[in-house]
Amino acid sequence: MDLSTYITIIISTIFINNFILSRFLGLCSFIGVSKNTLPSVSMGLAVTFVTTMASIITWLIYNYILLPYNLEYLRTLSFILVIASFVQFAEIVIQKKAPALYKVFGIYLPLITVNCAVFGAAVLNTDVFFLHGHAVPGSFMKSLIQGFGAGAGFTLAMFIMSGIRERLEYADVPRSMKDIPITFIIASLMSMAFLGFSGFKI
Amino acid sequence: MNQMTKFGLMLGIICLAATLVLAFTYEVTRPIIAAALYREEQEALKAIMPEADSFKPGAVGGIEYFEAMNGPALVGYCLKVTGSGYGGYMHIIVGIDTGGVIKGLRILQHMETPGLGSKINEIRLGESEPYFLKQFIGKNARTISVGNGIDAITGATISSKAVTDAINKTVTEFMEKMRQ
Amino acid sequence: MKMMGEFVKGLWRENPTFRIVLGLCPTLAVSTSVSNGIGMGVAATFVLVGSNIFVSLIRGIVPEKVRIPCFIVIIATFVTIVDLLMKAYAPALSRSLGMFVPLIVVNCMVLGRAEAFASKAPPFKSILDALGMGIGFTWALILISAIRESLGNGTILGITISRSFEPPLFMILAPGALLTIGILIALINYLTMKWKAK
Repeated sequence: MDLSTYITIIISTIFINNFILSRFLGLCSFIGVSKNTLPSVSMGLAVTFVTTMASIITWLIYNYILLPYNLEYLRTLSFILVIASFVQFAEIVIQKKAPALYKVFGIYLPLITVNCAVFGAAVLNTDVFFLHGHAVPGSFMKSLIQGFGAGAGFTLAMFIMSGIRERLEYADVPRSMKDIPITFIIASLMSMAFLGFSGFKI
Repeated sequence: MNQMTKFGLMLGIICLAATLVLAFTYEVTRPIIAAALYREEQEALKAIMPEADSFKPGAVGGIEYFEAMNGPALVGYCLKVTGSGYGGYMHIIVGIDTGGVIKGLRILQHMETPGLGSKINEIRLGESEPYFLKQFIGKNARTISVGNGIDAITGATISSKAVTDAINKTVTEFMEKMRQ
Repeated sequence: MKMMGEFVKGLWRENPTFRIVLGLCPTLAVSTSVSNGIGMGVAATFVLVGSNIFVSLIRGIVPEKVRIPCFIVIIATFVTIVDLLMKAYAPALSRSLGMFVPLIVVNCMVLGRAEAFASKAPPFKSILDALGMGIGFTWALILISAIRESLGNGTILGITISRSFEPPLFMILAPGALLTIGILIALINYLTMKWKAK
């Protein structure tokens, strides 16, 4: 598969169909965590790592176990178990090998299990890169790159939002708009800005 | 029995129960889902080629098609076309006569953006068929393209091209393979 | 009767979408039309009720440390069941909702209620809680999709309600959803504060 396909997928997942601002996957953490930059970026990196690894593992399970044995209906169950186990496993490894990093992630690491972006990326891979029950050419690499792009786009959106919200602390926001409503309105403007990327094709 | 084994066993039992329940539900719903898909396909075929009274399925070189028959006479073909759109795959059925002229078409499934790309399947008020698809009827499937016989939808160029190019490519391939 | 309180709280005071702000991903993604909104609401309610019942039933048996994975398995099972049922009996809706039906499994609202409520309460109370939350979620979805569909497409449930204006497309697209929910939550915050002051 040639480079331009991969670049198209990356640009598409990060900018054109950004997982948060366009597909609405990962909103709960987006609204909840994006108040400050350090936790936002840390969570973004953690999500990118989990999404990429989960994309790999779930692709393998889908292609070599679920499809050949006609078990597509077990997709939801198996995928979420894979993600939950992987997050648990990652938590244990990070706790042992990099305790300082573990402290930075805090409670956000287990929260990644229910992050729509992770599960959404895995499901999207099987919807878009499989046709009539067979993998499309280059499906594995495409899924891996889409998974990575999903996390990267998530991190980008989190980073921008946290920068804005940190500045917002100095603004005089009306009481009923504080915190959540104003964040949504900012997200709406960001989403509008990202709409400008649509139609871009290599 | 130590803690880890107890946890594993608990989780294992629940997973097993879950899998059994799902396998059962799947077996029960499978024929119903297949019937629904079949009904939808038949309905599309009849709407595209109303003059045909039976459809014989066939496949050539990876392209699935139906022979549209009126009694013993061949009226045309209905091809299953798969296009690559903006948001993912789209499944189209296009009906052609033996010369490759489009008699009718229907988009069964697509993943285009709602409000933009999804206009390829949008039916205007007071009409009964999607307005974008109407312009395909009567055109030679092997020569159509956006700008040459087909006008794209404003703001949905990629989706419009996807439909047009997929039909062109598949019909061209089909007619070549049938000639052999 | 105190029991009704468990049901009613999900409708307004502890509305999952507008007050607790959970389960946003599907709310914004499927609210492009009212029929989608209703479909998703019903599906999510089914999963909520089903999983709440079973989580409540096993709450004494399952050990603390593995409870989250166990809850997830139960939720995933109900999500798959509703997915299969939809494909069989409402295929057009199933296609319209797309991958957001499987995504109910990571809907924070579902796992949140299982963990926060059903794992500590008896089955009947859990059912009421699930129904209240589910209906609260559904009416929130209907409200948001009604606004987006009428302003962005000029229709509600596919029936055209106004031909006198050209709908602003952005209401159906992503920014419109975020704007709508932002303003709605602000409005509800404002009303709640006013009523509390009385």
